[in-house]
Formats: sequence, structure tokens, C-alpha cells
Amino acid sequence: MPQQTTNTPERGSAITRTRGSQALLPLTVKQIMDASQTNDGFAVNGTEVSTVGAGCSTSAKIVQLCTSVKVRLVGRMLNKKQQVTDVTFVLDDGTGRIEMKRWDNETFDTEEMKLVKDGDYVIVIGGMKDFQGKRQVTAFSVRLVTNYNDITHHFLHCIYVHLDLARTKRSLSQPQVIANTSTRNQAPHTSYQAPTSSASGNTASRELSDLVMSVFLDPVLGNLEHGVSLDQVASRLNLSLGQTRSTVLDLVDLGNLYATIDDDHYKSTMNG
Amino acid sequence: MDTSVPSPFVNGETLKMFVGRRVRTVVQVQRNESGVLVVQSTDGHQLTIRGAPGAPEAPHYIEVMGIPDSDQSIRAESWTDFGENFDPVPFNGLCKLASDKYKYLFL
Repeated sequence: MPQQTTNTPERGSAITRTRGSQALLPLTVKQIMDASQTNDGFAVNGTEVSTVGAGCSTSAKIVQLCTSVKVRLVGRMLNKKQQVTDVTFVLDDGTGRIEMKRWDNETFDTEEMKLVKDGDYVIVIGGMKDFQGKRQVTAFSVRLVTNYNDITHHFLHCIYVHLDLARTKRSLSQPQVIANTSTRNQAPHTSYQAPTSSASGNTASRELSDLVMSVFLDPVLGNLEHGVSLDQVASRLNLSLGQTRSTVLDLVDLGNLYATIDDDHYKSTMNG
Repeated sequence: MDTSVPSPFVNGETLKMFVGRRVRTVVQVQRNESGVLVVQSTDGHQLTIRGAPGAPEAPHYIEVMGIPDSDQSIRAESWTDFGENFDPVPFNGLCKLASDKYKYLFL
């Protein structure tokens, strides 16, 4: 059973526990071109990738991924063109070609773009955009590849992230996947294991999560400054305090709730 | 490049799947026999590369983009010097994954 040793904490937490923080997805051009459009951005291989703004999207299929996500690509630069206010080029990474634009906002941008030319292998970080049906990337970092092992690493990383996101998505609909939940936690809470380990509790635990979540999303309770206390949730739903606490902690790990003044008070991340 | 057709990563083994199609591979230069490069693929196959003038000496690795005309030779369109510190093992793994199980991410 995979444990924390297989977990890459930095990347894992960036994708699964986003609360206004930036996440960076390594992608191939093919993945970008295949991405389908959603309300707030794109869905890459089934995972929502928001292109604009911070804050949570209530339409997100994967609730965790409710923040602005940037993409990382590695490929060869072609057709570099210096325009008045920006530099455009095409990136060919062997899986396809995509147009890129780098705005000349600062001297740093102009200077960085001077260091790269057609035919160079570059690492690009930017945001995905759809302009009149055409996929583009607005780049804000373009660097020369100096160690060519980076190219191999990038594509292997693309495969890894793709698998990780797919596994996260599956675990949401099947909370019984214990192996996955243990890799998402740095230090697994003993109480966290409880809901997922009961064989018959699969559907029941999901309904329980929904019930508990609904208390936090209640407009009256949700507006309380310090959020809702565990006692309130327990008495409202007629649950034991222990059960309430473990369900709430699950929801905290998913990014749906956060603790406010102490460990007994929580608020929903999705309000407002 | 004249087309935007994707060029898959290949090693010696997967090269035969793409004869006639543009591919990219990283190989280690072994020797230059009057313009024809004799190279070793990341999985130990010996290949010949035609049309790569100015390529570096052994033991540099080069990335070759071109069209294979058999399962052991490639007609190069361009090449890039990947230096001496390139690690062939993960690249070989990538070729296997990208041509088989995770083909849909690449092609």
C-alpha cells in the first residue's frame, strides 16, 4: 500500500489543497489542445483548470482545484516575433504546436526574451487562454533549457501529474480508497481513517459529509464570524461529537472547511 | 519544421513503429563514418543517422529529429547537442510510456 514515501508534498498540496494559492501543472501541448472548455476555464483530462482569478469555483468538478492554475511547457521555440508591446512565438514540444505571447510589461520581460531565439529549447510558464476558439498561452516566464535532462523530466512529470489528478478525482467519488487518502496526508490523523475504513460506510460517509457540509453552507450559520462549532453541528444532525469531528476533519483535508478560532469552530471555504 | 504533425519520442525498440513518420530520439554518438553517424539508442540498439553534419563527437548525446527509413536508420532533419550529462535511462522509460500506455498525452 503506497504510503507517504510516494507522495511529493509540494506538488500534492498545491493541487489538492488550494485556497487562493497558485498551482503549476506540467502539460504537453496535446493535453492543452485536448482540454475541454468549462464555465471558468478548461478541463484537462477531466480535471478543471481555472484560467482567471482566485477564489473557489462552485462549478468545479474537483472541489480542491478551485483556484487559478498555471501551466508549464517545455519545447522548441519557433517563429519568434517581436511586436510593439509583446513578443509572440510558437512552442513545439513534439506533441503539437501552440502559440505563445509574452507581454513586454517590464524590462525584465524584454531582457528575458532577448536571451532566447528560434530553435532553442525553452521552459515556459504561463496561463492558458482561449482566444476566439484558438488555444494560446500567455507566458510570463521563458527560460533556456540548460540541462537537457529537464526535457525528459518534464514529460515524465506530465504523466505523473496526470495520473495523480485522475487518482484524486477517483478517490472523491470512492472515499474508500484508503491508499490514496494516506498519500495525500503528510501526517495522517488517526480519526481521519475512520470514515473510509468501514466497508459498508462508503455511501453513508459521503451522505454524512454532505449533511455536515450543508450545515456550514446554511446562510444563517455560515455568516457567523467564528463559523459553526462542532457542538452545533452534532446537535443539529443528532450525531456524536466524535463522528462530527472526524467528518469535519475529512472536509478540512478536502479543502471544503477551515478552522477559525480553535479546533472546534469551522467555516466553509465556499461561502461568498 | 514544415508541418505541425507531432513527432513521438522513440528509442531503438519503438523506432520500427514509426518508419516513414517524423520522430525524435536521443542517441549517443559512437563514431562518425564519413558523414554517417553511428549511434547507440537509449536501449542499446545501434543505429545510423544520415544527414547530421557538424554533429559532436562521442560520447555526446544528440537529439535527432527526422524520418526513419528503416528500423535501424534515420534520415535526420535537425539535431541538437544534448551534452555528455544526459541520462539515457529515464529517457528510455519515457519512450516506452509515451508510445504505449500514455500515448494519448503525446500523440
